[in-house]
Amino acid sequence: MQVRYIALRLVEWRAAWFSDPVERLRFLRHKRRVPIRWTGRAPVIFFAVALASVSVALVRPVWRTGPASTMSQPTPRPLTSTAASQPGRIWLVESNDHFDLYSNGLRVENRFAVATKGRAYLVLPRKGLDSQPARLRFDPAGIVFHTTESHIAPFEEAQNSTLRRAGEGLLEFVNRNRSYHFVIDRFGRVFRIVQESDYANHAGHSVWADDAWVYVNLNQSFFGVAFEAKSRPDEIGLPANAAQIHAARTLTDMLRSRYNIPAGNCVAHAQVSVNPDNLRAGYHTDWAGYLPFRELGLCNNYPRPLPSILLFGFSADSLLADDSNSNLRPALEAAESELRQQAAARQMPLDQYREILQRKYREATRAVRSTGALEEINE
Amino acid sequence: MTNSIKPTASALGLDVGTSRIVAAQRLDKTTQYQTQLNAFVTLPFSKLTQGVLKKERIPHLADGSEITVYGDESERFANLFHAETRRPMLRGVLNAEESNSLRIVRDIVSLLTSDSPGQGQKLCFSVPAAPLGATEEVNAHESALKRMLCDLGYDASSISEGLAVVYGELENSNYTGVGVSCGGGLCNVCFSYLSVPVFSFSIGKAGDFIDASVANLRGEPATRIRTIKEEAFHLNGHFANKIHEALNTYYEDMIQSLVAAIRDAFASAQNMPKLSRPIPLVLSGGCVLAPGFRDRFEKILRETELPVAISEIRLGASPQHSTARGALVAALSEI
Repeated sequence: MQVRYIALRLVEWRAAWFSDPVERLRFLRHKRRVPIRWTGRAPVIFFAVALASVSVALVRPVWRTGPASTMSQPTPRPLTSTAASQPGRIWLVESNDHFDLYSNGLRVENRFAVATKGRAYLVLPRKGLDSQPARLRFDPAGIVFHTTESHIAPFEEAQNSTLRRAGEGLLEFVNRNRSYHFVIDRFGRVFRIVQESDYANHAGHSVWADDAWVYVNLNQSFFGVAFEAKSRPDEIGLPANAAQIHAARTLTDMLRSRYNIPAGNCVAHAQVSVNPDNLRAGYHTDWAGYLPFRELGLCNNYPRPLPSILLFGFSADSLLADDSNSNLRPALEAAESELRQQAAARQMPLDQYREILQRKYREATRAVRSTGALEEINE
Repeated sequence: MTNSIKPTASALGLDVGTSRIVAAQRLDKTTQYQTQLNAFVTLPFSKLTQGVLKKERIPHLADGSEITVYGDESERFANLFHAETRRPMLRGVLNAEESNSLRIVRDIVSLLTSDSPGQGQKLCFSVPAAPLGATEEVNAHESALKRMLCDLGYDASSISEGLAVVYGELENSNYTGVGVSCGGGLCNVCFSYLSVPVFSFSIGKAGDFIDASVANLRGEPATRIRTIKEEAFHLNGHFANKIHEALNTYYEDMIQSLVAAIRDAFASAQNMPKLSRPIPLVLSGGCVLAPGFRDRFEKILRETELPVAISEIRLGASPQHSTARGALVAALSEI
């Protein structure tokens, strides 16, 4: 039944590619050449069954029979020990063209809202990465926190007009570029940019993993939440103000409540960003330190070894590794250490083991892209 | 993934409604509509009258002692002669009491399609869904229309009116949702899942029911009531006069009946698909044009417990053309 359900969703997703209504109907009608069979509460459409085999083939990773096919994967580190509790039910109280109001006080402004295309992505099973088929998913799996790195005026009353002008300009820019799902401005207002059901261009080349799944290129799979802020690597402290943190807490709670997002999948952009050209982690460094996980109702994810290093053999970007203020430094060191242990356990030089993992990354990205699920890779 | 559109003048969508017939055709990627009243009026035959009608190019047919003026012009002549227009269709199907009904429908269709005669052209025409216990009547109507259209040279097939609304308005949800057409004779409903109809039905309370009920209550001709309804009535709870108050009452009755029927249809559907998200509902047809209709419908629907979640309730982009557009989309998809 699960396969049929996935196949149906795949048909829906594929049909949405046709902008011409006639072509779309022709496609859907073509897929129902065999009459519908209904069973119980769920529809079983024969075309879906036929398509299931196609979809399974589509989502099967291409590295399944690759050179590292017999290699077992690193054991995932459980999240449960540090996971924050799931927020209670939060519901939509009022919704109109101007704003959405939620029961926890969150108000989301809709003035800059824009659509892209429906979310659809592949996840790779962490256990048996090289032997189990990937899965097609449509629900958001996590949240990536960003800073906009835009012009930041002093936060003073005398700067009101500048603050407002800069904020408006930023929102227009991110709207044009479909850059995030939400932006929190400097007054703590939450603006919806890309619709929750759609992908946004926020994470680009990126990797994350939870206990069960590995996510590659997170534009489709994770929400992008940006603070109107600029990282200050030379200074210690938060780049965001109290109003923004409060707004981010209510927004995070709402998204986690509505989409059942685990705390372990709420991460900083610096934790997930990678550079596929030089195979280094930490290509983007926003929120490399001081993302206030606990104030956001989350567990502190900074100590978690980066999946990009642990699973795909990336090395720590020199900028990130040399940044003494970075909260990621312990995670980088832990990941490198674990990688060395795994190589030793396989009686393999570290470089050789790293190369095998890096090959798996290239094959994974190729497989993900081959489905067309990721059309927009934001560099 | 936007594939090129095939030459599209080769297909036609036809909404054969009780009060209007609408033809839709796609030319150069734009859809064009032609509409005629599905009505006629008879005049006593005289050579003088026939000569005037010919000179003025007014569609008519002379038969024995009568001249029949049909289509849009019938209303003008009805007003001129203080007569009521007559309908070749009643409650969504050919009017059994009018012996010439099929002939008049054929002439009106010919009037609408004079620029593009048959010659094997693909044509999809709307038929009402069966009201409970009246399937044979609908089947007879469908067969008669199909035969007539094939005689005109079309490659004709039928589509349920509610499904046509879905095809005309719900492409953004991959033709998943509820299409409602509130016309003159019937309200048609179809719930479709990925373009496949799950259930369709019609109810007999629609525009003509409102007109006739108010006319009966207030002692006015139904034609006058229809004019008032279409030109000056707002479904907003404020009544300018007794006729407006009566119109409001019967609109409310129609909406209540429609919503109750939708609820019952969902509740009794044996083979409901497992929906991954709330579904949209779109309203179309001449009856929904009364200002305030959508709001009233939504209020009543939201007060009703449905087994499915409705994401939005909206009017069709062009409610009077939704069915014809959907029929055209269906016809084009079959080429």
